[in-house]
Amino acid sequence: MLYDVLIDPFVQMVAVPDFFLQVIWEGFVSGVLYALIALGFVLIYKSSRIFNFAQGIMVVFSALTLVGLHSMGIPAIAAVPLTLLVMYLLAMSVERVVLRPLVNQPDIILFMATIGITLFLIGFGELVFGGENKVMITEQLGIPTGAFELEPFGGFVLIEQKDVTAVTMAILLVVGLLLFLDRTKMGRAIRALGDDHQAALSVGISLSTIWVLVWFIAGVIALVTGIVWGARAGVSFALEVIAYKALPVLMLGGLESVSGAIVGGIAIGILEKIFEIYWGQPFLGGNTETWFPFIFALLVLLFRPQGLFGERIIERI
Amino acid sequence: MGFNWKSAGCAGIVSLSVAFGATVASAAEIYVPNLSYRTGPFAATGIPLMNGQRDYVAMLNARDGGVGGAKLVFDECETGYNTNKGVECYEKTKSKAVVTQPWSTGITLQVLPRTNVDKIPILAPGYGFSPMSDGEVFAWAFNPPSSYWDGASMILNYISDGDLANLKGKKVALLHLDHPYGKEPIPLIEKLAEENGFEFLPIPVGLKEMQNQSAQWLQIRRERPDYVVMWGWGAMNAGAITEAVKTRYPMDQFVGIWWSGYDGDLKLVGEKGKGYKTISWNVPGSYPVLDEIKQHVVDPGDSLIENPEDMDSIFYQRGVVISMILVEGIKAAQKHFGTAEIDAAQLRWGLENLNITDEVLAELGMAGMTVPFATSCDNHTGHGGGWMLEWDGAAFVPVSEKLSPDRAAIEPLEAAKAAEYAESNAPWPGRSEVPCE
Repeated sequence: MLYDVLIDPFVQMVAVPDFFLQVIWEGFVSGVLYALIALGFVLIYKSSRIFNFAQGIMVVFSALTLVGLHSMGIPAIAAVPLTLLVMYLLAMSVERVVLRPLVNQPDIILFMATIGITLFLIGFGELVFGGENKVMITEQLGIPTGAFELEPFGGFVLIEQKDVTAVTMAILLVVGLLLFLDRTKMGRAIRALGDDHQAALSVGISLSTIWVLVWFIAGVIALVTGIVWGARAGVSFALEVIAYKALPVLMLGGLESVSGAIVGGIAIGILEKIFEIYWGQPFLGGNTETWFPFIFALLVLLFRPQGLFGERIIERI
Repeated sequence: MGFNWKSAGCAGIVSLSVAFGATVASAAEIYVPNLSYRTGPFAATGIPLMNGQRDYVAMLNARDGGVGGAKLVFDECETGYNTNKGVECYEKTKSKAVVTQPWSTGITLQVLPRTNVDKIPILAPGYGFSPMSDGEVFAWAFNPPSSYWDGASMILNYISDGDLANLKGKKVALLHLDHPYGKEPIPLIEKLAEENGFEFLPIPVGLKEMQNQSAQWLQIRRERPDYVVMWGWGAMNAGAITEAVKTRYPMDQFVGIWWSGYDGDLKLVGEKGKGYKTISWNVPGSYPVLDEIKQHVVDPGDSLIENPEDMDSIFYQRGVVISMILVEGIKAAQKHFGTAEIDAAQLRWGLENLNITDEVLAELGMAGMTVPFATSCDNHTGHGGGWMLEWDGAAFVPVSEKLSPDRAAIEPLEAAKAAEYAESNAPWPGRSEVPCE
């Protein structure tokens, strides 16, 4: 028994290396997608200390808007900027209607407000777009749908081109975001606001402008996430559920760290796949992906309560 | 696409009509609630079913003024396929309801003991707990025209060319939602695997993994099952079919239960899904009843569907069949008790004495649309069987004659599980208060 649990899984990894590579690739793709969702949470938390419960529904809403606009006869090339415009209007509305009246309220109030935004977007989205499954306009967006078949170690590894596109888009988005946060005035303003609200306000940084900006960027991230997830299994309200996959990523990576979201997402994506395939399915009846990431994140938190990349908070009393 | 004023308007009209009906109840009315789900992760598959149910009832109200002189008040309570909300909806509607339509195996299992106390029949066509078929134990529960175990039996019979001995030495995987619904066929398939010498491999899919089933399909790639049977729902179906195409699993070895055979899911993969099969107790097509619905409900703008083409969907038409079963139960009760405004106990009798023959279906404009079946005191399912349908790249088409479950293989397990349920929920009333007539 001990051999089966402790040794045999590793023997299998070496014995069937092409399958192991496929597991790693699938885990990596999942991890990148988890990281994308987590990024949306991180960005808003970093600038406003709000845990944005609405990030999941923003993924659904942006993807539905894109598909909906295209179904009205608008070409994909125009539907994307129009969707971005809708996400900008959403960001403005959230700031004006929800956040501004709640400035200086406790964090829990703002968190509850994002639950309200979620419920509103669910109802509004279903009223406008209906609840049926929609097909993502993958080909119209120029996303290739074929697959590369590699033959390492005499076996085969299948790599879907849309997964490669998803990874590429995610990398570009992250690099762009890091450059924006590090190298631009607005980016530095977002970081300043995250570090100290009062100090940032005292040097003339506009709270409302920054909030609109971060909610819009979260909307852009949501759109990219919606496109890549939607290309895999269609666009429906079920996409909202995947937002919960970001929670262990945030626990692991820390709520304030862009790098943490990336590393945490990829780590959880790969580890949960390896655990599921080599231990979960043979010994635990499968479906361990629902709980393994949380256990893993909890173990990390035992040693690093601030997460892998989170900031250690010291409160002076 | 655009703002769905029609949906919003109709929803408002339905609410108003229900409210109006509740306050000015001058004419005979029968309140038939539906624990529906038009929201949440399962909305994509729930909506067409609920639309079909709703439109059949609306058609009868518009064309005939109801059923037997009583108007049907069809009221939806939104559960989002959430068991807790489903129980709340049951409690909210039970005071006026003559029936409860729980629309989820999880909700069915929760309300099953309560319906004995509240004296309300459960109508769960093609879902719920398979041993509910045993009317001697479950006096208030009905799951016509075929139970999940009937479905599993028909699928296994089909893939084994009618003789389960042909599966000896083979491996059959069950890709299922990790939910009471998805687990429902496991006891029967385990038993049949043991008796017939084939290997059974259950592969659960969690709610959060429905749209990313790469781990499950990696397992399928590793284990190489000869057949994959799917018990999926909502976004899981589309996710599984997409992964099957990606992993190049042979589609002709992939078969789903009736809830995994939604044309809307298959349209996501189109031609690539060619060969995928599903067992079904309704066959999509053009039927006179649909023309009636179009004339009396869709054309006047009283339906929630956006396009008349939505009526071609297999799930929309199954929703129509489901309401037909309920209405035939109401008719049977009205005739037997000589009253238009029947109560829940009378409807229970009606559902127990259904006789849906080919002639009845022809009269209703539904000849060939669903399987004929009859219920009785000890048979609350009817076990009408079904057809194997195949996705041809654009639509589901029948590829078999009408199939029947192997009842001899199922009945002992059904009786044992029904007795086990009654014992674990003792004192279970059984037929003590509603003896067989």
